[in-house]
Amino acid sequence: MKRFECLQAIAPLIKDELFVTTAGGATNEWNAVRPSDGNIQVKTLGLCSSIGLGLAIGLPKRKVFVFDGDGALWMNLGSLATIGLHQPKNLIHILWDNKQYESSGGEPTVATAGTIDFAGIAKSAGIKNSRAVGTVDELKDAVSFALNNDGPHFIAANIEAGRAEVPPLKYDELENKYHFIRYVEDTEGKSILRLPQSASYLLK
Amino acid sequence: MTAIDPIAAGAAIVAGLKKAGIDFVATLPDEKMLEVIRAVEADRQLKHVPLCREEEGIGICAGAYLAGKKTAIIMQNAGFLNSCNALTTTSLQLQIPILMLIYYAGDIGDRGFTTLGAVTEPVLQAMGFRSYVLRRPEEIDETLAGAQILADDSKKPVAVLLTKSVLGVK
Repeated sequence: MKRFECLQAIAPLIKDELFVTTAGGATNEWNAVRPSDGNIQVKTLGLCSSIGLGLAIGLPKRKVFVFDGDGALWMNLGSLATIGLHQPKNLIHILWDNKQYESSGGEPTVATAGTIDFAGIAKSAGIKNSRAVGTVDELKDAVSFALNNDGPHFIAANIEAGRAEVPPLKYDELENKYHFIRYVEDTEGKSILRLPQSASYLLK
Repeated sequence: MTAIDPIAAGAAIVAGLKKAGIDFVATLPDEKMLEVIRAVEADRQLKHVPLCREEEGIGICAGAYLAGKKTAIIMQNAGFLNSCNALTTTSLQLQIPILMLIYYAGDIGDRGFTTLGAVTEPVLQAMGFRSYVLRRPEEIDETLAGAQILADDSKKPVAVLLTKSVLGVK
């Protein structure tokens, strides 16, 4: 299965969940399928699972999706153990495993790529709701289950390599951040970007 | 300078973090900061996130900031060096503040880590991070509060380097 058809298949299941998407093809494709200020793009390879964990801990009543890649996850495999330690009920971590550094030219991720059981690694790290999927229907089932049951959830999706032709992102990462925070403020009813009052106002 | 024991130092630093408005703290231990980390863990008002590697802490704190938390990370200077890519391509690139409490291994008078000590302040400077060396226990509150204001207002990481004298350790 291709990543793009997977994204198209799960988009109808999504309401107001937040999405942290990896530095890779999943970001552009997801923003084409489901444009929203509730999507935030990550620029540090490997860090999406950690940013997603911080967000999930900070907003425990909001479902947070992480879209990871295998190259990125190898770079931050310890994040699975940290997720396993904290057990965020609202975190849904999807690994798009194409077994290569697609955005960097398609080199294989590691020599043993293709034989690694990422779902097994996640389970051993303490993420009980962890499974591998190889078809679009299995993926839809796994995402539906994750949306309706406490997590953390880890879904390793075995996909074919290849990027869909989609438009470029609307915002760069900085503008994306501001839109994302304002979206969180509006939908959570909280103030995050508090502007400081100048001293002359405070004195009155 | 007031002498302080490690447990009192841990309590004073945690109190200073809370007065500065911090409510979310990621940590990776150095033996010199054990009592600080134990005090973070024991405090009910602070969310404590122990880490596998310091760089993931930069990501976790960035995510928590997006959720409205005021974040700090406690680590050794080796951990700061481990975190440089995330600090550049997440904290700086997305303009996300974080208060970094960094144990200054290889500081003047500290054996065993002089290579690490030698590169710490130059790397902080090269990355454009403002940093303050905290030596006197009586300056904990003011330094942490001031550094947090700088981080929040500039939307950048700010470093406070913790030394043996402020941690009450040999």
